[in-house]
Amino acid sequence: MKHLIGRRALVLVSLLLLLLGSVGGAGAQDPVTITWWTLASAESPEPAIRAVVEAFEAEHPNIKVDVTIMAESAYGDLMNTTIGAGEGAPDIAYFWETPWLPHTLDITDRLEADPDLSRDDYFEEYFNNWAVYNGRVVGLPFTVGANFVMYNKDVFDEAGVDYPTADWTPWEYIEIATALTDPDKRRWGGDRPRGPFRAIWRNIGATKPYSDDSATVEGYINGPDAVAAYTWLWDLVDSGATPTPADIEVLGTEGTGPVDLFIAGRLGMATLNNGHMITAANAGVNFGVVPEPHVPDNERFVHAWALRASIWAGTEHPDEAYEFLSFWAGPEGQRINMEIGALMPSLPAVLEDYPDAEADYFQGFMGVLNATQTAEWRATHPCWRGAVIRAVSDAWDLIMLGEIERDEVQATLDAMVEPGQAALDECVPRLGG
Amino acid sequence: MILTRWRNMTTQERRDAKTGYLALSPWMVGFAVFFAFPILATFYFSLTQWTLVDPPVWVGLANYARMFTRDPLFLSSLKATTLFVVLSLPLKLVLGLMLALLLNLKIPGMNVFRTVFFIPAVISGVAVSLMWIWFLNPDTGVVNTLLHYVGVQGPYWFWDKDWALPSVAIMSIWKVGGAAIIYLAGLQNIPAHLYEAAEIDGAGKWRRFWRITLPLLTPTLFFQLIIELIDAFKIFTEAFVITKGGPLKATYFFLYYFYEEAFRNFNMGYASALALFLLVVIMGCTVLVYRTSGRWVYYEN
Amino acid sequence: MRTDAAAQLKRSNNWRRAKKLIGYAIVYAFMVCLACVFMLPIFWMASTSLKLPQDIFAWPPEWLPSTPQWDNYAEAFSKYPLARYMLNSAILVVANIIGALFSVPIIAYGFARFDFPFKNALFLLMLSTMMVPGHIKLIPLFWLYSRLDMIDTYWPLILPAYFGNPFFIFLMTQFIRTIPRELDDAARIDGAGAWGILYRVIIPLSRPALTVIVVFTFLWVWNDFLEPIIFLRDWDSYPISVGLAFFQGRYSVEWHLFMGATLVSIIPILVVYFFAQRHLIGGLASIGIKG
Repeated sequence: MKHLIGRRALVLVSLLLLLLGSVGGAGAQDPVTITWWTLASAESPEPAIRAVVEAFEAEHPNIKVDVTIMAESAYGDLMNTTIGAGEGAPDIAYFWETPWLPHTLDITDRLEADPDLSRDDYFEEYFNNWAVYNGRVVGLPFTVGANFVMYNKDVFDEAGVDYPTADWTPWEYIEIATALTDPDKRRWGGDRPRGPFRAIWRNIGATKPYSDDSATVEGYINGPDAVAAYTWLWDLVDSGATPTPADIEVLGTEGTGPVDLFIAGRLGMATLNNGHMITAANAGVNFGVVPEPHVPDNERFVHAWALRASIWAGTEHPDEAYEFLSFWAGPEGQRINMEIGALMPSLPAVLEDYPDAEADYFQGFMGVLNATQTAEWRATHPCWRGAVIRAVSDAWDLIMLGEIERDEVQATLDAMVEPGQAALDECVPRLGG
Repeated sequence: MILTRWRNMTTQERRDAKTGYLALSPWMVGFAVFFAFPILATFYFSLTQWTLVDPPVWVGLANYARMFTRDPLFLSSLKATTLFVVLSLPLKLVLGLMLALLLNLKIPGMNVFRTVFFIPAVISGVAVSLMWIWFLNPDTGVVNTLLHYVGVQGPYWFWDKDWALPSVAIMSIWKVGGAAIIYLAGLQNIPAHLYEAAEIDGAGKWRRFWRITLPLLTPTLFFQLIIELIDAFKIFTEAFVITKGGPLKATYFFLYYFYEEAFRNFNMGYASALALFLLVVIMGCTVLVYRTSGRWVYYEN
Repeated sequence: MRTDAAAQLKRSNNWRRAKKLIGYAIVYAFMVCLACVFMLPIFWMASTSLKLPQDIFAWPPEWLPSTPQWDNYAEAFSKYPLARYMLNSAILVVANIIGALFSVPIIAYGFARFDFPFKNALFLLMLSTMMVPGHIKLIPLFWLYSRLDMIDTYWPLILPAYFGNPFFIFLMTQFIRTIPRELDDAARIDGAGAWGILYRVIIPLSRPALTVIVVFTFLWVWNDFLEPIIFLRDWDSYPISVGLAFFQGRYSVEWHLFMGATLVSIIPILVVYFFAQRHLIGGLASIGIKG
């Protein structure tokens, strides 16, 4: 019929195209394109991201970087969707959820063979806690983050209270906070921790909510040290020196602390991070930085994190992807972000050149960086965030709401053993521990 | 079965049926592609253990067994959701209708009011949530400040185990302007001559409302009832942004639980079973409403 | 006698007018109070958008900033290509509205006016598509669109509208059911076929419902955040909802910029709605036909 000619022509044309295509491919002149997903933020704003791509492409004319800059709010959903669908994941991205890690490329050998970059270039603990998983290197730590207490000097001066020093205890924190509180001005002395088993828990001696082998919560979630830490929380809530979660959880996003209240001068002290520190400095707040309080004889811990920049195991261009990863999360890329954005690099040699390195607060921050991290189990245990913390959140809520008496803390935590154990038993066989 | 039914139809009935199917065909295609496929996939996932990362592992009915026998979170989320539906659904239906009746008054400048009341439905997600956190802030919020002036100590709203759920309900009722528009459209299909006739018969405003407006609005009411029912069961954003399901699981809504299981606990198999369970529950309620509709919904034919 | 009656009529007219005015006054007073409550968030957003960041959470709160920071708006729009994003959203909105107006009346007409086996079952099946959480569909749909090579295009955000949104189909079905069948019959006598009736009788009488469809499509597409994030990759192709999310940083939110940008972003919806609402009024109420 009349379609026949058309079909024959079609076959001919496609054969021709195929031929052309293979000839073009044989030339190997085409640059390889790798895809990169990243997030725009104050630390790493869009212009800095573009500058990284530009600098990299200038250095590597045979590699093109196809960057997707996205908003943080749905990044996790997107990663879960592409990983779940088994396709469409980028060559390079942040793989911050532990369960995503089996889908990252092992770069141990590449990094060892790299003449320009080594794991020793990074802050040791950040590298070990955030880039290593089950003994293999699964990415590079991009930027550093840590919690510490920021205190508003104006509020302290006005109340006639001495500034806190690094050797303060959790109980002194409550005393100072109480002294700073002024209900008429809607001003509180301090804030509350935003979750259990962060720095203060460890500083008081509560190591983990479950045993090392992830087998049991009994004796951990309700052990004497955990009870002491939760009792400290009870005292803090009872003091009335802290705003309720209703005042703090402006958005409820994890990681966003009460920086807005702090900047407004309505919080004398707040447990914030280096991102907040820059925000406060830009807003002209007169503040200082101290580590979170700890118990004199115990080791000092810091709640810290890095963003894990990794290569997707399914990438078709592992060599080129590594080239880019080591550029972006290496000294060049982090320096560009530090200079254009407000990034705190995870490489000591680069962080030294921080524009505001002379400032008091920056010195205070450097002091915090070197404490032991609470992250060593939290960073990579897949069952803490999703399963166990939810199962034991009733104890947290009861204390935060002031629903129980001080001597009921032990009983409340004992009641968490059953749901906590159930969550652990459900999760560990599934996700590992 | 369908064949015997088809044979017993008259030519006219068959022609009607063919036209009906033809009219439905775009939706049927869309259904097959955008819905049937995902839902079948979900059903398959619900019979597996799937961490998203590793391939799904067949576990049969284990997820359903766990859901119905030993999952306290399933029960608390079901409870919170049911409470929310019972609390917000009647209020939203009645207040939406009242607002629509007000906006339907033929007085000058009404289009400005119609726009103003629509605004809450326009602003999305985060901005609204922040607005409400600020609005209901226990110490500095507008509501508690006003209550303070009249000598009442306001509650902690989102952070009070008894008030958190009502707070979320209030928030959803504030968006009633969107529903009012649909009532408003429904009101337009009540023929004016019926009112004129009633007025001549000396029927007062109330009588006219009960005898004409309400019966003739029942198709819209039926629509609103089902839509709001589905919507209320699917409450999620407020818990996700503001309360995180707390305090003490007071706002631990079903979809929030589903989301946490799927994307935070990486338990997609179980989450799929939860999603299907919710589908069945909403479907059951809808069928119930649908069955009764013959008795109270008035159509023109 | 005559003057008496006239005076009485005039008096009763006056009384009626006075009663009407008092009624107006009460209604207006009530509406204004209610409107103030509903407008409070807008007022607060506007006030926040003109503040310095450090004043936003100050106590006592400043209802109106003493020195309005108009530069905030310029800053917000220079930081991200928001104008471009609003244009993208507008394109998506128009494409979706066309899809909805094309598909919904036909499908709803089928449900409302024809009898066929399994109609109720199909109708319930259609409703059921609204009962499934959006998140559950993400992975299968992503897989599907990926196979169709539609990732990073607008197709996933547009295509579904052409197959009928169940919410609108339901709405339209209910609406058509209130249109008297006598009108169909009259058109049929005039020689109209099934589709002629749809275009000559049903659609012209459904203006309020079609207006609702236009307004809601606008609203949903404009505010949809999750699907664009999942299906789009290109910086220049984002809709405004994604653009607004950029103001929520990892560690803090730029409230002053975010509020201003949000405020500007809702203006198109409000303008469209303000002009569209006149079509909300009409339908059968405006024509005096017999039911």
